[in-house]
Amino acid sequence: MTGKTIVITSGKGGVGKTTATANIGTGLAMRGHKVVVVDTDIGLRNLDVIMGLENRIVYDLVNVIEGDCKLNQAMISDKHDYELFLIPAAQTRDKNSISPEQLREMCAELEKEFDYVLIDCPAGIEQGFKNATAAAQEAIIVTTPEVSAIRDADRVIGLLESSGLHRPKLIINRIAAEMVKRGDMMDQKDVESLLAVEVIGLVPADEHTVVAANRGIPVVHNPKSAAGGAFLRIAARVDGEDVPLMDLEPKTGLFSKFKGMVGMSGRAYSHA
Amino acid sequence: MLKTGVVQVIARGTDVAFVIDEKASFDVVAAELREYLSTQGSLWSKGDITINVGQRMLAREELTEIKSIIETRSGLTVTRFWFSPDSLDSGDLKIEAKSVETTPAASPAKTPAPPPAHNEIVLPETVLETAPVTMEEPAGETAAESVSAVESIIESLKAKHNKNGTRNRNITEALFIKSTFRSGESLSHHGDVVVLADVNPGAEIRADGDIVVLGSLKGWVHAGAAGDNKAVIIALNLPSTRFQIGKYLGVAPASAKRKSNSSTSGPMIAYVRSRSIHVAPFAGRFARYNKGVPYDG
Repeated sequence: MTGKTIVITSGKGGVGKTTATANIGTGLAMRGHKVVVVDTDIGLRNLDVIMGLENRIVYDLVNVIEGDCKLNQAMISDKHDYELFLIPAAQTRDKNSISPEQLREMCAELEKEFDYVLIDCPAGIEQGFKNATAAAQEAIIVTTPEVSAIRDADRVIGLLESSGLHRPKLIINRIAAEMVKRGDMMDQKDVESLLAVEVIGLVPADEHTVVAANRGIPVVHNPKSAAGGAFLRIAARVDGEDVPLMDLEPKTGLFSKFKGMVGMSGRAYSHA
Repeated sequence: MLKTGVVQVIARGTDVAFVIDEKASFDVVAAELREYLSTQGSLWSKGDITINVGQRMLAREELTEIKSIIETRSGLTVTRFWFSPDSLDSGDLKIEAKSVETTPAASPAKTPAPPPAHNEIVLPETVLETAPVTMEEPAGETAAESVSAVESIIESLKAKHNKNGTRNRNITEALFIKSTFRSGESLSHHGDVVVLADVNPGAEIRADGDIVVLGSLKGWVHAGAAGDNKAVIIALNLPSTRFQIGKYLGVAPASAKRKSNSSTSGPMIAYVRSRSIHVAPFAGRFARYNKGVPYDG
């Protein structure tokens, strides 16, 4: 079996890289694939928290790289009934503890056993970014419809392309349909024309995302929620299925307006 | 008017010009010049001349050789070389056709030779203005003067060859960028740059020649980076509010900023006019632009 390593990155922090990694990983596992998610945000790990696996960590990525444990000893099985595993980052070390070559070697090892290896990239474009992107064959950029996030995404796309990771895919996260409709927020077309890359998913701002993250159960487990459905569709697209992008038309009526406001206010609590 | 094959000697009033077929190779030119001066050199008994090399690219050795041919075979002294950077744009076809022009001083021994009356185009001072390159310090006294003149012509030709792109032989080719030029990417090129996509905010391009963006120009660009104020910036969309041409910095006025936000603009050209950058709707590279918006803040 030869799997695929995909890095999920953004440049800017707090746009939803970790949330996207957890949800796409879970989504792919729900589709029946064998998936491992790797947290490379050494020193600031939180993929384990989002996935609700923090209590099970014994060994971490740096232990594997330094040979303190075997690869499968550091892999934590997901709580749910899927073939989903997590390799957590070390919390007490820093980005320089591993090198791009070491991570590349490790991912090559994982690709033999898994269909998908998802790498959660740290924010920034320094050593951690270099580590995370070195091993990947594909890249997914997460951005929000904000100028600062888009500027950073642009920079990251340039860096990825210059390091040979061509044609990265884009996820636009936390779209508030109401604001887009009012013209207060960039829509998909605006972002697409700015960044000139293929959009692979639109994730609406949804309170469920925050609640799910706090509970340690990725929102994709609730496919009826707007964000959960969006992530499930993204997982399908990553998997090669041709799923049209959903239209983020705001529902009319007082109730959805209220929901939209709650969703927006919830954004402040979302994880990176 | 005398004719000797590739070398023509044209007399205009008291000024005399040596006109050499631009297409002739340097060796042919040197031979013809030698031949002409060996038979007619006695006509030029005394005087200082300057030599305009026109559009021709000449190496330092070639310039030195021309100088020595003229000085050994006649009583003339070559005081300096120069070229006419504006001759192409001046519309003076005679000058454009000339490759080597010598103008013996009408009356002997004026030092330095005054610029000939019929040819007001460019003298080394102006040459240096269009080519802000450091000249080497002259090594000696009088002999060094011609050496530094040779240096200056070489430097001027360098600047010129960046500017008049296709018209010169040793031109640096235009660089094509075929994907979006993104934030954090920067580029320096000794020639023209063409981007077949957008230039995003945070990207930087410096080109000695023109910059053409077949997309939206939102980043920072500097055309004519070697000091060529005649370079232009052309973009299908020009939301960028700061860029540079030659030594001039363009800053969009507040009104243009508002305009670009409403995204009504089409292809635009930025150029230097009366010491500031102007931006106008693009109407062709060599169109006359009179109604540009000055970009000076």
